[in-house]
Amino acid sequence: MLGSPGGKRGRIRTTAAVAAAGAAALALAACGSSGGSGGSNQTSGVTITVALAADPPPKAELDAFTKQTGIHVKWVNLDWDSLQTKISAAATAKTFFADATDVDWSRVGQLGKLGWFYPMSQYMNTKSLSSDMPQLASFTSDGKVIGIPYDASFMVTTVNTDLFSKAGITSMPTTLDDYTNDLKKIQSSGVSQHPLNIPFSAAEGLSTYWYETTGALGGTILDSSGKPQFASPSSPGYKAAEWMVNAIKTGLVPAGNINVADSQGEQTLMAKGQVASTYSDYSGVISTLYNSPKSSTVVNKIKYLPTPGATGTAANLSNPDGIGIPVQAKYPKAAAKFIEWFTSAKQQLEFTGANGQSKAWSAYTLPSHLSAVQTMAKGNLAGGTTLSAMLAKSKPVFEGGAPSWYPAFSNAVYTNLHAAATGSKSVAQAISAIVSATNGLSS
Amino acid sequence: MKGSSLQDETQPASAAASPHKRPVAGRPRTVRKVAEKGLPYLLVSPLALFIIGLALIPAAFTIIQSFYRVNPLDPPTRFDGFGNFRKLWADDAVRTSIGNTAFYVIVGVALSTVLGILFATVLRKKFRGRSVLIAVLILPWALPGVVEGILWTGIFDPNNGLVNSVLSSLHLANQGSVLLGENRLLTITLIELVQVWQITPLSALLVLAAMQVIPDELYEAAEIDGCSMFASFWRITLPLARPGIAIAMVQSLIATLNVFDQPYVLNGAASTGASITEQTYFISFQNLDFGEGYALSLIITVVTLLISLVVVRAVYRRIDY
Repeated sequence: MLGSPGGKRGRIRTTAAVAAAGAAALALAACGSSGGSGGSNQTSGVTITVALAADPPPKAELDAFTKQTGIHVKWVNLDWDSLQTKISAAATAKTFFADATDVDWSRVGQLGKLGWFYPMSQYMNTKSLSSDMPQLASFTSDGKVIGIPYDASFMVTTVNTDLFSKAGITSMPTTLDDYTNDLKKIQSSGVSQHPLNIPFSAAEGLSTYWYETTGALGGTILDSSGKPQFASPSSPGYKAAEWMVNAIKTGLVPAGNINVADSQGEQTLMAKGQVASTYSDYSGVISTLYNSPKSSTVVNKIKYLPTPGATGTAANLSNPDGIGIPVQAKYPKAAAKFIEWFTSAKQQLEFTGANGQSKAWSAYTLPSHLSAVQTMAKGNLAGGTTLSAMLAKSKPVFEGGAPSWYPAFSNAVYTNLHAAATGSKSVAQAISAIVSATNGLSS
Repeated sequence: MKGSSLQDETQPASAAASPHKRPVAGRPRTVRKVAEKGLPYLLVSPLALFIIGLALIPAAFTIIQSFYRVNPLDPPTRFDGFGNFRKLWADDAVRTSIGNTAFYVIVGVALSTVLGILFATVLRKKFRGRSVLIAVLILPWALPGVVEGILWTGIFDPNNGLVNSVLSSLHLANQGSVLLGENRLLTITLIELVQVWQITPLSALLVLAAMQVIPDELYEAAEIDGCSMFASFWRITLPLARPGIAIAMVQSLIATLNVFDQPYVLNGAASTGASITEQTYFISFQNLDFGEGYALSLIITVVTLLISLVVVRAVYRRIDY
């Protein structure tokens, strides 16, 4: 009943012939279908594909755009990581993927150097936009704007005013030392066992937290040639890493945060009133999460705090989401018309729900147009006045734009800071490893 | 011609062998013979083309490109010999991920196979609610890995997770104890348990399929001979289920060697749990170093093939009833 492994010999010659014929056919097909840039200039009666990591805006809004321009929109929602992979894979293979898609601030250097996106100045007057869009600088690579920010994400400090007042804190801190002392007071008074939220999971959120803390301490991460500015123990970057790691070692941060990502910390700690503050949170999060009774127990208790710095409040760093046109787009001109509409101040106000909830886009946080935020601040935007003041002064994380090797750099940052937080590396070892990786990447 | 052919078919063998009629009758026969022989290849050709197009050509491309420096940020593409392989070996993150992946493979294949055999043995006999149980069993397998990762993230959450709540209520751990990300062994064990939860249903179904074709007569004969239930299982069920067990082991091997979703969602990019496919993703799509990514993919493919071959040789046996 039991036989030996193996099987009958097939007719190898015939199979090989079939295989060879198939291979040749596919190879020929592959050679014949190589992609190339230069899509159609048609801007009416076409369907463009828009791929972003978000649900689509209300159908009525997209229909209104179609009625106005004759351009139909096919919306593709992909998670952020998959979207970045698809952008890279399609661009490398020179194949069509979308007419308009995500340009993340952190990949601007890489995408710009590779020439994977059209310079937006070909289609829009980007110079006139810059005064009302402070974050446009984050999308400039070698003088070319390759994406238009469609929201104004920047890093902000959020505080639970209820927990602060319960601990007897009456005036909000303006320096990092005061802020740390207040958190210790909240902890020692028993109001919150672990009052600070730092997402120590080895992911992008940890890197951006460190950038914001470094910036608040008056430093920069990299100089214009990409050299690390955090090697010295007296540098703001080094001190920021020390402050963050000490916070978890001394219990200011819940020990469990070692594996908590940024959004997870917002949802399970900050929105549930378990922590009193997130030093580097995201703009707009009070409206979209903390003031939503469905997902929060701290409605109307969270406020934006001008970020406490070394000697006073500090500028906030930008990490906005942008949209651009890949060079393999089928209808680049139509895509540009869409981007112009999608990122206009008027449309951004519609997306926030300022003109009625039926026009509101659930995935939307904060307009990238300063004028739109100021309009909202006059209305009912939570912390709108504080936000518009911070947006006006917000700075890009990297003054010269994100370097082309940013993803590898960020990976080195978050894996090493995570290792320092777990205790498998000291802060000095972690910083040394990041410095070494950065020098290797920038050389 | 047509008449001749029909006539030929109705003629006795001796008449058909006539030297005058053979050429006339032989041509259609040859055509039929060729058609009969060619038909299987024709039927298989779409699948063959599919495999060639989606597996063999990309595989050949990967093999070739793994010896080239392919990085759009560092053009042009150029021959680099074993440079990509040397760089991989010098990379601490890759070496750590190899260790993690080896653990995933050993624990994952062993556990999913043992549990698969156990579940299949239980499900082999008919009982009330069996179909419902099979449907429930399949659920973890049917869920995408990312969804499972998110689900288990909540369960393992150190601040509000189910595991910590249960352990702390039993005074076995403090609320807020860190489960993932701090201790490497604990991290990779928990990640692999989540994956075992996902892959075991398929193993169970594969083994169950093999068990269900074992004739009942064999068990009846064994019972008459005084064989105990354990002896029947050991001497009849296990040996005869070997084809299913081998396939189950190979599918578990492929799944564990290529695990990505669970470590990525549960533990991010931290070295405490990163798998080798995670590293391939980071190298290829974050760093855009496709040459190194091809080299790492090639290593994974070769290792998968070699271990699969060993498993099949050691476990698989052809069964003829």
